[in-house]
Amino acid sequence: MRELELFFGPQHLGMVGNFSITLKVEGDRIIEATANPGYLHRGFEKLMEYRTWIQNFPLVCRINVVEPDHMEMVYAMAVEKLANIEVPERAQYVRSIYLELARVGSHLFGLWAYANMLGFDTVAQWAMYHRDLILDLFEELTGGRVYHIYIWPGGVRRDFPKGFEDKIVTTLHTIGGCVPDYDETFFNNRLFYERAKNIGTISQDEAVRLGGVGQVLRATGAKSDIRKIEPYAAYSKVDFEVPIRKDGDAYSRVWVIRDEMIESVHMIFKLLDNLPTGEVYNRIPNPFKWTIPPGDAYVRVESSRGELGLYLVSDGGDKPYRVHFRTPSYTHGLVILEKLLKNASIADVGNIMISLYVVAPEIDR
Amino acid sequence: MSDSMNKKLKAVFRGIKTATGKDGRLSVSTPPENARDVLRSLKDEGYTHLALISCVDWIDKQKFELIYILSSYFENEHIILRTSIPRENAKFTSIIDTFENAEPYEREIHELFGIDFEGHPRQIPLFLERNYEIPPFRKDFDTRAYVKQLFDEIPFVEEDR
Repeated sequence: MRELELFFGPQHLGMVGNFSITLKVEGDRIIEATANPGYLHRGFEKLMEYRTWIQNFPLVCRINVVEPDHMEMVYAMAVEKLANIEVPERAQYVRSIYLELARVGSHLFGLWAYANMLGFDTVAQWAMYHRDLILDLFEELTGGRVYHIYIWPGGVRRDFPKGFEDKIVTTLHTIGGCVPDYDETFFNNRLFYERAKNIGTISQDEAVRLGGVGQVLRATGAKSDIRKIEPYAAYSKVDFEVPIRKDGDAYSRVWVIRDEMIESVHMIFKLLDNLPTGEVYNRIPNPFKWTIPPGDAYVRVESSRGELGLYLVSDGGDKPYRVHFRTPSYTHGLVILEKLLKNASIADVGNIMISLYVVAPEIDR
Repeated sequence: MSDSMNKKLKAVFRGIKTATGKDGRLSVSTPPENARDVLRSLKDEGYTHLALISCVDWIDKQKFELIYILSSYFENEHIILRTSIPRENAKFTSIIDTFENAEPYEREIHELFGIDFEGHPRQIPLFLERNYEIPPFRKDFDTRAYVKQLFDEIPFVEEDR
């Protein structure tokens, strides 16, 4: 049969975000796939070298549009590590609650993309609506719906407003009350099983060899989570499970996302119960004259897609000397995606890509 | 793990320097000719996850510093390996045969810093669409001059004042 070259994206219904894949196909079967990023390359890492430590916060959160919160966290952690800043205990708890809310919001967005791609429009609309309820919480807390700039070196920008804890609980109960509906219409639906089972299967050895993290790894049965391995914020003080699945296919990955959302909600309740009183902010030096001693640091957090790291270098000045983000979608979208698409069918491209949870702005930075 | 690792590395490889940070993280500096072997032996010791390859342009010393961050998937271990190469005709060997996910990282460094990785199967552009005389992430790349040349008719804010 004749070989053809097919350009999949950036303008394609099955594609989320500005990302494209060049496919070499024979009939319906993919012989070779080449990921082609760069549509969103804004050179943030270079721009950050020209801005002061504090001025960089609005740039950092724009690297990942879907969940800017973990980006703020990883940058604040790196600055704190280089400048030796302590964070008060209440701020650690507030950070954890905020990051778990962000994880639920981001997973709901992922569920929207996946359900939409499979044609479950109702479930997709529910997920988007429930994400919006979480954005309402963020709006009240920080003043912004999408980009919050809430985490700050030395703590968080402000404490919870009055009655905010109750609002979190009410909102999460509203979302949690719909889990049976989600299960009935989507997760336990035969159509979802038929469409996602044995699609894009990756074994645990292969995932480790290719640098998979997050759901991609946990869906193969590996219990690897940075919140457990190297606890940051208040994660060492709260008890939680790391959900895993065994099969490593798209079906398992989406189920891991569902279980993680439920676990996050339980974790928020536990953190709210033990929320200590006190300050949420340690004073930092005057940001206009703030210089940080020379040195470098690598810090990592578990974002909703997997290991998110930051390598930050200071040469003793008021600006970073080099910034380099290690984003989970980078290896998922450029290495694992190309491997999984080999010998797949054209109809499964969107399925595999969205189940890998690839977010294009994170790749390009 | 990092203490025994420290001794083992010093015993096997010549010219290696190690330091332990305040957080207990091991940082290893090695001459460039050893870097591949050190990486391979670290992988055998359980640092199976290559988290990041980064590059820092130390223009005052006329050096590129390559940073490899390795970690373990299931234990709280990570290690920073550094090696410096001269800035002129920068060249290094690819480590794709040891860590398969090094491929896009090396491609990115080739594009943004102009370091040539020998043995890399496809050093084609990853993000950029134009050709630059000086690779854009190098410290001597003048962003202001570049913007002025590209968008000349739009005045800068301070010139307008």
